[in-house]
Formats: sequence, structure tokens, C-alpha cells
Amino acid sequence: MALRTGSVEATEAYQIPKLVRLAPNLYGVAFTLMKMIPARFILRRAALAGQLEPGTVIVETTSGTFGLALAMQAVSMDRRLVLVSDPVIDERLYRRLTDLGAVVDRVPASAAAVPGGYQAARLARLAQVRTEHPVTFCPEQYSNPDNPRSYATVAELLVEALGQVDCVVGPVGSGGSMCGTTAYLRSLFPDCRAIGVDTFNSVLFGQPDGPRELRGLGMSLLPANLDHRIFDEVHWCTAPVAYAATRQLHRSNALFMGPSSGAAYLVARWWAGANPDALAVVMLPDEGYRYLDTVYDDGWLADRGHLGDDPPARPLPVTDPSSQDGPWTSFGWARRSYLQVMTTSVAAHSST
Amino acid sequence: MRDNSGKHPRADLGAGVRAGRDLPVGVGYAPAHHGELLQGVFDDGTGRLRRALVTLPQRDRGARATFHPSRRFYSITVENPGLTKVRRAAVLALHRFAAHPATVPGGCIEISSDVPARIGMGSSTSDVTAAIRAVADFHGVRLPEEELGRLAVQAEGASDSTMIDDRVVLFAQRDGLVLETLGHRLPPMVVVGCDTDPGGGGVDTLRFKPAEYDERELGAFQVLLAGMRRAVATGDVALLGRVATASARINQRFLPKPDLERLVELCLAHGGCGVQVAHSGTVAGLIFDGCRPDAASGALRCAARLRELGMALTAAIGVELPAEQVRVTA
Repeated sequence: MALRTGSVEATEAYQIPKLVRLAPNLYGVAFTLMKMIPARFILRRAALAGQLEPGTVIVETTSGTFGLALAMQAVSMDRRLVLVSDPVIDERLYRRLTDLGAVVDRVPASAAAVPGGYQAARLARLAQVRTEHPVTFCPEQYSNPDNPRSYATVAELLVEALGQVDCVVGPVGSGGSMCGTTAYLRSLFPDCRAIGVDTFNSVLFGQPDGPRELRGLGMSLLPANLDHRIFDEVHWCTAPVAYAATRQLHRSNALFMGPSSGAAYLVARWWAGANPDALAVVMLPDEGYRYLDTVYDDGWLADRGHLGDDPPARPLPVTDPSSQDGPWTSFGWARRSYLQVMTTSVAAHSST
Repeated sequence: MRDNSGKHPRADLGAGVRAGRDLPVGVGYAPAHHGELLQGVFDDGTGRLRRALVTLPQRDRGARATFHPSRRFYSITVENPGLTKVRRAAVLALHRFAAHPATVPGGCIEISSDVPARIGMGSSTSDVTAAIRAVADFHGVRLPEEELGRLAVQAEGASDSTMIDDRVVLFAQRDGLVLETLGHRLPPMVVVGCDTDPGGGGVDTLRFKPAEYDERELGAFQVLLAGMRRAVATGDVALLGRVATASARINQRFLPKPDLERLVELCLAHGGCGVQVAHSGTVAGLIFDGCRPDAASGALRCAARLRELGMALTAAIGVELPAEQVRVTA
């Protein structure tokens, strides 16, 4: 029996999730900050490869938790970090990032009006930042294959703690956590199912692009790290449904997580109930503190008309991934590529 | 029985060596193995990646070494000059005892083994380990297993972990280091083994180019090792079989067993758990859960089928094969 020891760095401790039983056949993989896994792995690998010498400046465009994880790892490695973000970055996150020594470069609000919006302005600014420093390194979480690879450590923990895992449910953003964790679990359990959880108006699995309230999952572009062929099933849900599930997770299991965790829990709880002989795990990427004034505030929910019914007990199966018939829909993706699904569903559509 | 001299073992012992006839001999034994349950590249805990493996021991075969010491002969001879690694091992072992009051300057090593060579059953390591044990035995010492491992690796470049026989270990075969102790013993298993390439010339372990794993495979090894830890700790042969099969499949890129998928199918169809291989050899073993009452019957049906397919049987662990199913001899 190995002795438990202390962590050498905070970031090492942060990347270890809590594995919590939520139902007899369902375990939550609860992270304080899941993005710590790819951030730490990518930066350490870059250092080993000689791409992160003492003078190298780490640059990335993000206004989310990946930036926070990078800032923490940059402290551990004593490197400078420049993050290019929207002007709408969460004020408390901004204070935390700057306290960690990161330079947060916010593109002007006027950029929203020009073609391409913030996304284009951020990429242009990132390119400019890279010319201002002699040597830079960009982690590129959306395309760096080290992002999905970093999740081998999660699969390792799951196999050691649980043995055979039959289904992984989790929210999808960059694709790194779901594609990485599932692919590695399948090296031992090829039949392990992957269920991706997305939100309406996210292009990841064929929805039309549009405004989205739910944060932490969904995207307006297709990241290279999203390997669609991993997924057996995709679910979409609305923000209020995810919020209600987030609160249920808190009330029934005392797990204080963010709304992307709630969305994943909604789907995982249903799947585990429908498959009592199979073991499922659900990825819960971050904690609830950032959402105390929103998801965890009944007044805020009521003002938006989100305080009402419990979420539906089961999803509405749809045959068209662009369908918005929901508050909660499901689609049999069947490990197909994006192109395969799109051409099939377009063909099915034009024939009806 | 493979008699490494090809002659009578004592036929060519020189007069100089035999002059130490009044001294007691040292004897040593080392068992064979039947390939690996897992082989790959693993973090050694300091961030450094090392090649390492988990061996499947096969205790009914092995090598026996006798060390005939000499006070006058300042070198080691081995009666089969082809066993250069055995000679090197004995020299290293003797050097290890240089400060021992009762040591000798040289002697002769005699090996007898029933381990077939070049098919991944550890004939070389068992020879080398037995020789080191024989030299140590002459000095009245039982070397710690890890020191034995280091000496064996020094002698032959890469060794399996057959010398570590009191626990299940992840062993760095080119460094002679135990990276991790997985448990006291493997769960009860029934294994029938076969040579997947009976007509072939086998594999020269040391000339065989080490596998160059890609990034994805490096991550997979982390997961496979986790599975192995759990399988050993909880006695889960089903999981252990999955780990072995996954490891065998990764190895198909480097030293393919043409019949691997057919063997996996055969094994699973008869209630088995998976297939392990020699990652630098040609043998493969079908694994059954020894705690299941149908394990032996499933294994025997598979053994019969393997014979029909023309594959020579190389191992029967935890099960008795009918006498007519002749096994590969050394």
C-alpha cells in the first residue's frame, strides 16, 4: 500500500477530482477546476520539449476557466502569462487572474460591432501580442492534441477506483475532457458509451449558431479537438433545465457545482436510472462559487422566469440534430463523424 | 530438456577448474515465464518514462545452474560457449563477492534448462538468474531480489522479472528496477499457452528493436496499469484479461501475432477473460478465471482447438493437459 503524500504544487492537487457516488450505479467526477488537467499537462510538456524557457511568455485567448488554470500553472512554473479576453470578463475572475500575475488584455467593447465580433478581435489581438514578445508559447486548448491526452490521468483514476465503466456523460466545450477520457477508457472497455451534453444554439453537434445563456459548454465554432466519432449520444438542454438540475445535485448530494455540471448530471441521472445494471460516471467540471449570485440565487432565477417546474424526467428523442424541440432533447449520434451525421440528417430532412 | 552444452555436462571441464573439487558447489534455480500480462512505458514516479513489464510466471519450467568453484582458475567458464550472457552474469556475481572471505577467483557454470529459447518464455533470464543464484549460493548468501534483478540486467541488457518471485511487480526490464509492487500474488488463473509461430525462428530479444510508442499509447499504458493494479488488488481476472488483451493489441504494431484476434475470440467464446502475449516473443496465453468452476473445461476445449489449428502448446498453468497434448520441448 502506497503512503499518501503531499502535493508539491497546488496545481498538482487541483487536478485530482473527487469521485463521489451519486446513485448506486453513478459516480460524479467532481473537479474544483477541471481545466487544470489540460493546462498543467500542456505547459509541463512544453517545458520538457524546450518550448517554455524562462523568458518565454505564455499567451492565450480565453475568458474562462482555462485562463485561470494557466495562470495558476504559470505561477508554479514562474512564467509570464498574457490572456486576451473579452471586455465582458467576469470581474471576480479578472481580479483573481491579475492577482496571479497574469496580464489580462481586454479587446475594446467596440469590437462587438465589427464583423467577426469579439472572436475575431481576440485572435487579431493575440497575433499582435505574439509579435510584441520575442518568444511566446500558445497552449491552444481547442487544437492542441495534448488537451485530450491530458485526460489519461482521469481514465486512470476511474479504472483504478471503479474498474469497468460502461458510460461517460459530460458537458462538451473544447472536446478535450470527453474525447480524451472516453478514448482512454475504451483502451480497456471498447464498448464504453460516451454521452455528450450540449446546449441549444451551439454548433458543436449541428445546432444553428445563436445566443446561449448556459455557460461552460457549447461553442460557436468547431474545435479541432472535438472528435465526433467518440459519441454514442448527444443531448441538448436549456439553461433553466440545467440550473434546476444543478440545484438538485446540490440539494440531494451536497455537491456544489456549476451549471455545466448540472446539465451533465441531468443526463447522467436519467441514463443511470434507465440502465441499472451498468456503471456510469459524470464529469462535473467546476464548483458553484462563481454562480452564487445567479444559479444559486432564487431571486435571480425568478426574475428570469427560471424558477418553476422541475426538469423533465427524460429527454425528447429527436431525429434531427438541429431540432430545438426541447427543453431537453437527445439524438443517437452512433459514433459517426460530423459530416456523416450532417449529410444523413439533411438527406432525411429533404425526403420528408 | 535443453542441455546447453550439447555434450555430457562434465565432459569438457578443464583440469584447472576441477582442481577445486574439494570445494562445495553452488546451485541456483530460476523459473520461466510465459510472456507478459502488460508491457509498455511508464512514469517511474519522478516524471521519467521507463520501459517496464508485468511478467506471467510459469513455474513448472525453469533453469538450474551449478557453480563449480576453482581456487586456481582465474576466470569463469561455461560449458556451452554460446551462453555468453550466463558467463557475464557469473563474472558479475563473482565480482559482487570479491570481498567475501571464502570467495574464489573463478570456476565453471553448468546450466540445464527446459525453457524453450527465442519464443518469449524467458530462457535467457532464467539461465542468467540461476547462474547468479548459484554463485551466491556458493558464498552462502541469498541475494535480495532487486539486486538480483540489477545484476541480471547488467549481464544481459534486458531481463524479465522472474527473479522477483514473492510479489507482483511492474519491472523496468532495461534498468533492473521495480517501479511498483502491485500486490502479493496474481489472482488464481488458468492459462493455456501456445506458440503462435511454431515454424518460425523465434525472436532474438536483444536484436529486436524496442517499440517506439506514440503519445496516445503512452496515455493508454497509464490506464492499463491502473487496471492491473485493481485486478491484482481485487482478484479480478476478467479485468486482468482485458489489460492483457489491450497490451497485446498495442504490441501488434511492433511484433504482430497474426492470430491474436482469433485467439481472443476463441478465449471469450469459451468463457475466458483475454489473451496475453510475449511482447518480444511468439507465445500467447488464453486466460481463464481460476475461481470459476468452468475455467478448466473452457481452457481444455481451447487447448484442443489450438492443437487442431496446428499451434504447439507451450503452457498449462493451473490446469492439467491430457497426456496426448504434447507440449513444446526445449
